[in-house]
Amino acid sequence: MRLGTVIGRVTLSKSVEGLRGARWLVVSPFTREHFTAASKAPVVSKEPSVVVYDDLGGGVGQTIGFIEGREAAMPFDQPTPIDAIDAALVDNIFYSPFK
Amino acid sequence: MVLARIEGNVVATRKHPSFEGWRLLICQPINLKGEPDGTPQVAIDAQGAGLHQRVIISSDGAATRAAVGDPKSPARWMVVGLVDELGTGAPA
Repeated sequence: MRLGTVIGRVTLSKSVEGLRGARWLVVSPFTREHFTAASKAPVVSKEPSVVVYDDLGGGVGQTIGFIEGREAAMPFDQPTPIDAIDAALVDNIFYSPFK
Repeated sequence: MVLARIEGNVVATRKHPSFEGWRLLICQPINLKGEPDGTPQVAIDAQGAGLHQRVIISSDGAATRAAVGDPKSPARWMVVGLVDELGTGAPA
């Protein structure tokens, strides 16, 4: 799971059957700099943004934990073409960098 | 599997039910010198890793699903071992 900031939402007019009615978030992944609370790093990081399937109700500006890869499709009964899923809405981060 | 150092933890009330009760640790991948190498991953932990401890994390989703006991869990990264000693040196 990586952490990231929700920077947008996507709605689809036409989609693959299994994705009807789904909610999509555009997420900018955290880099190491973003974990520090007083970080001056820009919200949109240099990491490529990801579109993430969301069934927890994440909103723009929130920090979420998302899972990428084959595992992202595991919660679905039918084979579903999803490779990134919102797995946690982050309330708090305790971060203490080493050195 | 990658070498990582524990640099904190994450608290989330709203999450996939399979994460209920699991520690979510911020694992910073490190190189042989112990320097940060790449973006931190959040992994579940059953080994009881401490802050700033070196660990090995695995991205094997099948093993992680077995650990959380939910075949439909999206969980992927898991702490699989605590590092005791790390030998360095170029191969001969």
